[in-house]
Formats: sequence, structure tokens, C-alpha cells
Amino acid sequence: MILAKYLARRFFASVIVVLGVTLITLLLMDRTRGTYVPGIDLNPSLRPEDIARLRANLGLDRPFYIWYLTWIWGVLHGDFGRSMIDGSTVMSHILDRLPNTIELTATAILVGILISIPVGVVSALRRGSKTDHTLTVVSVAGFAVPQFWLGLMLILIFSVTLEQHGLPWLPSSGAYSAYNGGDLLDRLLHLIMPATVLSFFYVSTWSRFIRSSMLEVLSQDYIRTARAKGMSERRVVYLHGLRNALIPLITLIGLELPGLVSGGLVVEVVFGWPGIGKLAFERALQYDYTTVMGVTFFATMLVIAGNLLADLLYGVLDPRIRYG
Amino acid sequence: MTQPLLEVQDLHTVFSTKEGQVKAVDGVSFELNAGETLGIVGESGCGKSVTAMSIMRLQRPGRIVGGKVMFKGQDLTRISEYEMREIRGREMAMIFQDPMTSLNPVYRVGWQVGEPTRLHNGWDAKKAFSSAVSMLGRVGIPSAASRARDYPHQFSGGMRQRAMIAMGLTTTPHVLIADEPTTALDVTIQAQILDLLRHVNREFGTATILITHNLGVVAGMCQRLIVMYAGKIVEAGPTRDVFAHPKHPYTWSLLRSIPRLDADIHEPLKPIEGLPPNLIDLPGGCSFHPRCAFRVDKCSHDVPALLRVGESQQAACWVTQSGTELKGA
Repeated sequence: MILAKYLARRFFASVIVVLGVTLITLLLMDRTRGTYVPGIDLNPSLRPEDIARLRANLGLDRPFYIWYLTWIWGVLHGDFGRSMIDGSTVMSHILDRLPNTIELTATAILVGILISIPVGVVSALRRGSKTDHTLTVVSVAGFAVPQFWLGLMLILIFSVTLEQHGLPWLPSSGAYSAYNGGDLLDRLLHLIMPATVLSFFYVSTWSRFIRSSMLEVLSQDYIRTARAKGMSERRVVYLHGLRNALIPLITLIGLELPGLVSGGLVVEVVFGWPGIGKLAFERALQYDYTTVMGVTFFATMLVIAGNLLADLLYGVLDPRIRYG
Repeated sequence: MTQPLLEVQDLHTVFSTKEGQVKAVDGVSFELNAGETLGIVGESGCGKSVTAMSIMRLQRPGRIVGGKVMFKGQDLTRISEYEMREIRGREMAMIFQDPMTSLNPVYRVGWQVGEPTRLHNGWDAKKAFSSAVSMLGRVGIPSAASRARDYPHQFSGGMRQRAMIAMGLTTTPHVLIADEPTTALDVTIQAQILDLLRHVNREFGTATILITHNLGVVAGMCQRLIVMYAGKIVEAGPTRDVFAHPKHPYTWSLLRSIPRLDADIHEPLKPIEGLPPNLIDLPGGCSFHPRCAFRVDKCSHDVPALLRVGESQQAACWVTQSGTELKGA
């Protein structure tokens, strides 16, 4: 079975990627930490020997590679350790936050795809028109405007200003209301602004890409063949053109998945979205080794899974692709 | 004489570019009779493909700015886009130069070959597919039933061109336009495809317009022949007569530039001097006069019309119209 062999090869490649990413993350934290012990060295009531004992307990007295091997050993047994800050298991933190991240990014990607495809196709079909120029300007703005700024502006307009005028307003932070919240409508309301910021960026990038991809496809000989068969222009574009134009987009989305975790991070921080990006951000500032390593591990897995999915989808869309 | 199947009258197609307007087709008129094979010959850029595309109204971004294309009593340049779609693929089919790129890479060959019948005959997917299989068999694809499930990249160049021809024939059109159908193929495959086109012409009675720059192809395939130069027809007539006594210096030069098996091997080939003209800035008078070995003063001032010269031919040339024979070096 060729596909099974392909998947096996991809799996081994993924193991190397995970090892590399986690090792680099640990190295970065370890080299920038100094003698710092997370959360405890600022406590004036601790004596130097207490700190030394705590360092030994956390494994920080040993060289980083010993720490790393110990951590790997734990991961292989499904044990991601405990947070160095609050002592609860890293796994519980991640399981707590991961669904929120998936909710946000999946929504953003879905919205991004649903909007960017028609926008890109329309731009391509009406190349040089006013519609095309307008969409171009909006797209350029989309990747020129920083996400944190756009996020803050949305909060200023849709939360602060609307509330000041006594109008219905959107919640500015969190994934759901702390009191009487958590139902579907409440979660959707919280999702609107962060998902908008995140998907705006994807729509901008992807619609540009679909536009150029579509223009290229529409100049192909098989499009001329399709027209010569006497079908409607709509059928030419959507049946014969779009599927070909989307093939390279799959790769692009696959390649942008790492940016999804980091891009999601900025949005999560701005909107106080309780996802793993925000978790990693907070814990990295506190040198919570175990939590950061755990999040890194899961984020890497997400990226690898996304890339694999993209590659498999590629094969579904393009019969010329064979795995082997 | 019976009514011709297709009648192109004074067709003008232009392309607007930054440098100016390109008259790709500049007053072309010809007729195609039912069941015949007509050759259109000329160098790259002489307007032969644009003429064919204009008949199908697929000349975009070019514009048809004048003339008529009469087919079954209606002028194809006047009818609506919707009506035109009913003609394309049903009444007139087209096959193209490069079979490698003319089939959509992401759909199965059988699906694509059956598409015209789904569009025009309203057949369902199953019926269209089985008709595609039988048509693929008739154009010489071995084990058509299984090959129809292949994708284009699994076909060789010759097989793809066969598939293109099958695709054109599924709706039994009256006109088949073949735009350089063999140019991209190996010589042995070329012969097979030409054989197939001849066979199709006989068996289906489909009138064929064969566009080519290869005079050898025309000689073996076409009853009549049109020679184009710089967007205009410079000579037309029965193939046999045109080959025997060309009445336009361009045709004459083309025929002399072909290597001949019976020629003295020490005799050099005689290429046509100069380059094809710039279509934006055509020379005054006859477009061919700068390269013409027979030109007279009049040629650089006045444009010759396509008139009867000799028994059966037409030519647009002041020299032959005045009765001079084209001879010598």
C-alpha cells in the first residue's frame, strides 16, 4: 500500500520536526533565563538554600539536555509534567485551552476560505475593473494593518463606543461571559471580533492568491476547450477553472499553518481569548518551562497534522499527484 | 451549386494593444461546403487561428468589427451569446494544436469527452460516459472502457489528440475546425491523426477546416486551400491547381521553400527573404511586396483585391492578375 508507506515516512519526518522544535524552544528559554527560577526567586522569605533545593526539585540544576531527555521520557509515557508556576498538570492546562484555540482558528480559516474564493474569482473575472481595484486596496490593507491594531480598533468601536451610546455592543474579551454565559449565542458573540481580525488577514492573502491563480488557469488551453464545447461562462469558471486554481491554494494554506498559531497568539492576547497561544505567551514570560514545552508540542502537532491534511487534500484535487 | 454550409464574408477581427490596433483578420471571405475539407495555410501570426476562433466567437480579447459568418441561415456574429453556445460543441467542434494542455488535467478523459452530450443533448452522466467510451473506441483508443477512466496525464500525446477528436464528434457536428492538430505531435503520430481526420470526414460527413502551416498536410488532406498572409487571403483555389500553378508570389515562395525528395541534393533550399510584417504597422499596398521577388511599382501603393486568376483560382496580386506567370528565381 503506497499511501501507508507514505504516511509512515511522513510520521518519521514528523518525529524529527517535533524533536527539533521542542529542543530549540527549550534552548531559547534556558539560554535567556539566567539563574531565574520561575515564580519563586523574588520571594524575600526564601533563603538561598531553599532556592537551590527548589531548583533541584524542578530539575533546573542539571544541564538542559538532561532536562530535555527527562521531558522526552515523560512525553513518551504521556506525562507532560506539572506547571512550574501553579503545580497543576500541563495536560489539564492544554485540554482547557485547546478547544478555544481550535474554535477560533477553525472559524477564521472557514470564513477566510468562504470569502476569499468568491472575492478572488470575481477579481480575476473583472480584472482591471473598479470592483477589482477596490478589492485590491482592501486586501493590501488586510495584510498591511497589524492585527493587534485592528483588534484594538474593533474593541474601541464595537465595544467601547457602542456601549457609551447605549447601543448593543460586542464583548471585548474572553470566549464566553463569566456570569450566566456559555450558551451558543454568548460564545458566538464573543467569537465575532477575534474571528474577524484573524480571517481578515486570511481573506486578504488568499483572495490575492486565488485571483492570480485563477487568471493563470483561465489562460490555459483547456479553458479554451471548455468554451469551445459551448458551456456557460459560469460553468467554465467554476467547474473547469476553479478546481485547478484551488490546487496551489491548498499548499499555501498548508504552508501558512505555522503562522496560524503565531497569528492566533496576537489575536488571543488582544481579545483575552483563553487559547493555547495566550497560554504560551503568558507562561513564556514566566519561564514556565513545562507548560511552554507542552504547548509547543501540541502546536507543532497541529501544524504537522494540518500540513499532512493539506497534502492529502492536494492528492484528492489533483489526480496527477501520487504518493510514493 | 448548392448553398455552402458555412460562409465567411469580409470578416474583420482586431486586437487593441498599447502600440495600436492589430488587424489580425482583415477582410477574409470564404465558403465551406458540406463534407469537404478546406485547408487554411500561412505562417505564424498570419491570422489563420484568429479566423477560426472568430467563427466560433472565441476570439477574445479580440473583437469582430465587421463582416458576417453565415451558418444555417443565421449570422453567427449577430446572434446572442446564449444562441452561440448552442452552436459551439453541438454544430461546430474545435480541436487544438497542443493536446497536452487542451484537456483539463483534473477530470477523467471519459467525463470530458462525454461533456458535450451532457451539455447539449441533456444526457445523464452514465449515458454520456458510455457514449464517450464508444466514441473513444471509434477514434482508435484501445480498451476504451478502462482508458476512459484515466486522467489526461495517463494518455500519450497522440491519444490525447484522439480524445479531443472524440470529444468533438460526440454531438455529430457539421463542422470540425482543427487548428494545427498535428503540429505538437511526433511525425508518425501526425500521420495517424491525419488518417483519423480523413476517416472522420468520410464516415461522419463532417466538413473540416484544417488550419496548418504545413503544406504537406494540406496536399494530402484538403480539396481546397486558402493561403493567408498578414490577416488577408492572398490565394485560394483547389489544392491541386494551387500546388501546380501558384498564382500568388507568397504561395509560390512557400512551395519553393519545401524540401523535395526528387530535387538535386546540392540545390539549396530557398527560404522566403525577410520577415513576416508587423501587423500594427503594415507596409502600404500589398503587405507582401517587401519580400516579393516579382513586385512592380504599383504593389507598394495599391492593395490588390482577391480576384479570379486562371481557371479555378483566386489571387490578390497585381502581377498575376495582369496575366504574368510566376517563374524563375
